[in-house]
Amino acid sequence: MHRNLGLAVVATLAAAALLGSAASAARPNTHRAQQDPSAPVNLTMWWWGEQEAAGAKNWLAQTINLYEKKHPNVKIKTVLQTTDGLIPAFKAAAAAKKGPDIQYFWGGIWSLDDAWLGNQKPVSDYIPRSELRHYLNAKEDTYAGKVWTAPWYVQPSFPVLYRKDVLAKARVKVPTTWPALLKACDALNSKGITPLAGGIKDGWFGGWLYSIIGAQGISSISDVLDATTGKQKFTDPKHAAWWIRLQELRDHKCWNDDMNSLELYQGQQRWAQGKAAMTVTAGSDVKKFVQQVGVAKVGVMAMPKWGRGPYAGKLGSTSQTVGITAWTKYPQEAADFIMFMHKPERMAAWFNTTGAFPADDRFKTKLIKLPQQKILFNLVKNGAPYLENFIPTELDSKANFAQSQLLLGGSIDAAQAAAATEKIAQRIRLTQRKQMANFKTWAQSYK
Amino acid sequence: VTSGTVALSDPRRRRLRLGRVEPLVWIAPAIAVVVFVFGYSMFQLVQTSLRFEGHWTTDNFRITWSDPTFRTALTHNVRLLIAVPVLVLLSLLLSILLFEGLRGWRFHRWALFLPYVLAIPVIGVVFGQLLQFNGLVNQLLRAVGLGGVAQDWLGQPRWALWTMTAVIVWRELGFGIVLFLARLLSVPSDVFEAGRMDGARFFRLHRRITIPQLSGVIVFYVIVEAITMVSWVFNYVYVMTNGQGGPGDATQVTELYIYQTAFQYQAPELASAAAVMLFGTTLVLIAIFFRVQRSSGVGLDE
Repeated sequence: MHRNLGLAVVATLAAAALLGSAASAARPNTHRAQQDPSAPVNLTMWWWGEQEAAGAKNWLAQTINLYEKKHPNVKIKTVLQTTDGLIPAFKAAAAAKKGPDIQYFWGGIWSLDDAWLGNQKPVSDYIPRSELRHYLNAKEDTYAGKVWTAPWYVQPSFPVLYRKDVLAKARVKVPTTWPALLKACDALNSKGITPLAGGIKDGWFGGWLYSIIGAQGISSISDVLDATTGKQKFTDPKHAAWWIRLQELRDHKCWNDDMNSLELYQGQQRWAQGKAAMTVTAGSDVKKFVQQVGVAKVGVMAMPKWGRGPYAGKLGSTSQTVGITAWTKYPQEAADFIMFMHKPERMAAWFNTTGAFPADDRFKTKLIKLPQQKILFNLVKNGAPYLENFIPTELDSKANFAQSQLLLGGSIDAAQAAAATEKIAQRIRLTQRKQMANFKTWAQSYK
Repeated sequence: VTSGTVALSDPRRRRLRLGRVEPLVWIAPAIAVVVFVFGYSMFQLVQTSLRFEGHWTTDNFRITWSDPTFRTALTHNVRLLIAVPVLVLLSLLLSILLFEGLRGWRFHRWALFLPYVLAIPVIGVVFGQLLQFNGLVNQLLRAVGLGGVAQDWLGQPRWALWTMTAVIVWRELGFGIVLFLARLLSVPSDVFEAGRMDGARFFRLHRRITIPQLSGVIVFYVIVEAITMVSWVFNYVYVMTNGQGGPGDATQVTELYIYQTAFQYQAPELASAAAVMLFGTTLVLIAIFFRVQRSSGVGLDE
């Protein structure tokens, strides 16, 4: 009996431990005491971005240092999150109402999802409209008349980088149209050169591909919002065509053979090492890659054009943002620091350090010297909305991430991928009932 | 002398008075900890799984059960159970070899136990690199002319779960070996001597003596590993697939499903329903093992 009881206790402990996390997500919240302006202010900022804007960490440390000198009672602590951990860590913090005061968000749904869940205070309640109107791409973070997170830097999403030297050696012209891209793949393959380098093991690249290929088939962003809410279907030709394009890339062996076992950034490194002719990178990362490979060797362009829609041949433009958490005791101080990040001197330092464009129309564009960055700036100035920011993150993960892995791995075809996407969307309409209502309201602002 | 006599006789009298309740008294502190630490979470969990927008409902269970991803995850957990007999057989074989005084057994014991003390994230990252399509494993295969065998071990849905099972077996094996070896070393040597004198050779000796002697720890190991496969493989899957359970949902398991539903897709009520179902499954599994243990009498005499 002793033995059985002991085992039962062990078993109960084991089972209960794994369940604890799910329960904690639903715990009730408590509001903290109101702020005391005379007391020392300790802010915590959870952020991400060093991964796509090298040097961001140094810039942030420098900016905090300068800010703390100006405001001796304020201390700001930063926590750099991993790519895979950024969202789950914040969701866990939100469940506990404890953690950061300032949080990093990607734009669009990545920001609004937490606004709808009550995890943020709208920045427009703390940052004057006269200041906010300078912040670029704030529209994608706007809901119910409020701006929920403040754009920090622009993310040109996502340019194709090509190696002039590799293409020239293979006597292949820079492909600017889809048929030319497929031909280039064939020609490069025949010479033993990998046409495009990428990694999809961690899934993120699936969302990128959806955005840069899929945007070319739709006529407006409301198409995507309507497909999400069920007014349109993801199996409709305008939404499903991108899977056919992706299958064409697979069938023409455009990608590296180990794409499914490499992560996004590992895949890009293959290109930097000269093992592929082209790759897709974050716009904020272009400077790093250009410097790594050599200014004379690198060209930059939007994804070759296949569609006739208004976004075909254009680069997506979104801004990475920072928001104020719902549980912070110091929303005004957090907002003040965010505004400090937009000071002209800080923006110039940001650009010089990282090569990423600050999300502010007061940024002095004459600082842009690198030819590739000039091209990128022009592309993003006439850019299109970034599609991935307008679908539920669950749909992105289960459809774009997962189905891209299967399609590129050869397990399914384009029709199966489109059907799976629609099926997942139907299920999300059932499980994310509150989010769907918000999506319907959000869609109205894009009509 | 008088006080010593009292001291000896008093506890015996108290024990008699406690009777059948005594075991409960002994484990009361542990139960108190369990109730204090996990009781509230469990209550919250069940409550959350039965509510949506302030109403009591069983819809969360219906919706979760109808989710193909959830069913896939459950199926994968069941498939992982195949690793349990493999683990038992390998642990048994290797522990017997070590017990038999295999040359350099101390080194072998250390080498076999080492994986078990390595952190799972470390194992995940290292194997993630080794098993890439152009990783070291496939490079070696190609170098020895076995290029046809080379696969995208973690990148192909057909192979991903089996590859992960192999990695889990590699790590969990050390625990079984140490467990079995420790029990074998505690068996009096004259038991084996007697067997040998009766003419028993290697297989007969271990089938007739070693395995019966180990039956208690074997059952314990089976229970622990079965629970591991059903509800303790999150770390492996999370690290080796970047939290995706991919490619597609090829390595999706129930724990990852719960985590994603709760923290990535923000549906705590559905995550709770899935967690309650997993908890139920684990309890059923434990009950089955206890029943088997009781009916066979294995380990009850130890």
